[in-house]
Amino acid sequence: MSDERLLETFVELADTLVDDFDVIDFLHRLVAGCVALLEVDAAGLLLTDQRGQLQVMASSSEQVRLLELFQLQNDQGPCLDAFATGTRVSHADLSAAGGRWPRFAVAATEAGFAAVDALPMRLRSEVIGALNLFRTGPGVLSGTALRTAQALVDVATIGLLQERSIRHQEILTEQLQGALNSRVVIEQAKGLVAERLGIDMEGAFAALRGYARSRNLKLGDVAGAVIAGRTNTYDLLGTPDPTDRAR
Amino acid sequence: MATVAGNGDGDDRSAQVRAWVAERAVSRGVPVSVRLLCETAGARLAVSGVALTVDTAGWPELRCSTDVLGEWLAELHVTVGEGPCVDAQRTGGPVLAGDLDGSASQRRWPLFAPAAVEAGAGALFALPLVVGTIRLGVLALHRVVAGQLPPAILADSLAFADVALRLLVDEQAGLPAGNGDPAGEGWPLYSPQVHQATGMISAQLGVGMDEAFVRLRARAFADRRRLAELAADVVARRLRFDPTGEEAS
Repeated sequence: MSDERLLETFVELADTLVDDFDVIDFLHRLVAGCVALLEVDAAGLLLTDQRGQLQVMASSSEQVRLLELFQLQNDQGPCLDAFATGTRVSHADLSAAGGRWPRFAVAATEAGFAAVDALPMRLRSEVIGALNLFRTGPGVLSGTALRTAQALVDVATIGLLQERSIRHQEILTEQLQGALNSRVVIEQAKGLVAERLGIDMEGAFAALRGYARSRNLKLGDVAGAVIAGRTNTYDLLGTPDPTDRAR
Repeated sequence: MATVAGNGDGDDRSAQVRAWVAERAVSRGVPVSVRLLCETAGARLAVSGVALTVDTAGWPELRCSTDVLGEWLAELHVTVGEGPCVDAQRTGGPVLAGDLDGSASQRRWPLFAPAAVEAGAGALFALPLVVGTIRLGVLALHRVVAGQLPPAILADSLAFADVALRLLVDEQAGLPAGNGDPAGEGWPLYSPQVHQATGMISAQLGVGMDEAFVRLRARAFADRRRLAELAADVVARRLRFDPTGEEAS
């Protein structure tokens, strides 16, 4: 793990907290940071909304996104357990996890994952979500990696809750509900871009995100501008971000 | 706002709201409608009134209001061109104005807030009825006294908004109210592929997201297929929507 990259990720997360807070971009940086920094192959993040429901807010690939949704739909899996208990849930060999999560173990194994760690997003008694880290090989995650992951998650949690303390409960409701709809706008834009440019969803997301990043715009705003025709779809390819294929 | 099956109490709340609306429909001997939903919300939530506007060619058109103040607040938004409902519609997120007379509200809506207070409104909670860029309307709850909604009431209010969105979406696609779901799949909007497919169809047909979403849902309904399943076919490029009207596999 490079110290420089680690520091960079913390600075990025802290930066996002300063002004014009973009929840989706913030959480995306967190999952992308985990995959870049830790010995993990994929990551996904769930947050609870006002109604107490978990929602998939960020994931490092389309495949992990579907696996997170699978946990929610089947009401089982490490992320749900970490959220419910407020403690870390790990499994070093998913091929032997059938007793604990019968349906999830099969789906995760089919997706090519062998081990998982789920970390709660918790500050004192409040749990607001969980982060899932997936690996393609079995075994336990190193102590350093786990501590780093927990530190990243804690910074993100404090960031989100600090935001909430400014105007109490309502700001989190407004922001999370708004962010949930932004996610839908981004999905619609991904479909539009994928179809027009003849690329897949991951490529469409990379194009949208590369464009937003290079111009310091919010991802949801760029997605909205593409759908409204204010941003030309083909301009998106001018600034791809090939290193960043997470979503 | 998507809901996810089998997770937390959010679905239970939506189911509860649907049961309340259905109960009222039976007792009144009328079909389920957005008007009935407004009345039910007015009766069940601790608010002074409920109004629902639908987006008609970019203008909010009042569909129902449980009181005169609700009607007046809807009109005021149109007159001054600002206010919580305008912001909710624009941002796609709820705008919870717990104190219209407070400095934050007065600064944010210099035309709307003073006029709303003068008319007797203390708080206004605007819940957008949106699917991404598809903006169908706003459910607005007002109170004559200032104060934020308690968390349980807020959660119920969001569930009412979910059910209202579902009714409007069915209405838009010309499907039976609250019943445009022959394959029994609940509320499929949690699936990112439904929205990705909507975006793809929008490009294939050269139409807006609203029209593309209507076409996707109408096709699922006609074929008696689950929306999420049909959407997965579109995303995997196993199914295209053709502008000539023939869908090619």
